[in-house]
Amino acid sequence: MKKKKEIGLDFEIDKLTNSIENILTGEVFDTEIVKLNESDRKQIVKSDWQFDWINEVNDKTKAVYKLTTVNNPTIIQGLLSLEDKQDHIFMHLIESSKFNKGKGKVYFGVPGNLVAFDKGYEGFLAFDAKTTLIKHYEESLGATYFRGQRMFIETSAAIKLIAQYFKS
Amino acid sequence: MGLIKEPKNIDLSTKSEPWTENELADFRILMQEIKAKNKKRQLRISAKKQKAEKTDN
Repeated sequence: MKKKKEIGLDFEIDKLTNSIENILTGEVFDTEIVKLNESDRKQIVKSDWQFDWINEVNDKTKAVYKLTTVNNPTIIQGLLSLEDKQDHIFMHLIESSKFNKGKGKVYFGVPGNLVAFDKGYEGFLAFDAKTTLIKHYEESLGATYFRGQRMFIETSAAIKLIAQYFKS
Repeated sequence: MGLIKEPKNIDLSTKSEPWTENELADFRILMQEIKAKNKKRQLRISAKKQKAEKTDN
């Protein structure tokens, strides 16, 4: 039988910060998350990303957000694709930029910043996680295991994440 | 804030599969239960606060 390819979240939350931190220098940079519109498509270089983000931006049922540092809004640190399900938010895709992947990654904190961004529907955010990382998400994000690879973040965990990542 | 974990060899590149109608229906029930529990907790906290304020006065 062909083994079903497991998909889902496969990143570990590196550090809970309200910004991102340069791994080598320890320098901390404030971040901002901005929605991408169809006219912003040229900001995405297709070959730099594993997923088809142009397709995500074109899909009107989804909203795509970019994470950048405040001082350098043209360099995308990570991308996030969300869908409003009317009573919760569904996280379709999330990806760090290529320079934030692998052993040579430049910044800590990109995934956590993006996940903490969701603030709607009392913080309810649904997503898939890789089986091996379910426990990690429970501990780092306060996420709740649902079934299979399905997980979600609920109000109290969302409040903690927002407090950790976003300045009021 | 403490360092949670930093495995440099694990990357952020993730795709969620759409949830089935059954999964969504069950999730919505669970969400309602959690929201109701949160509301109750909030009411309990408010009542306690009011009681404490009355006692102080």
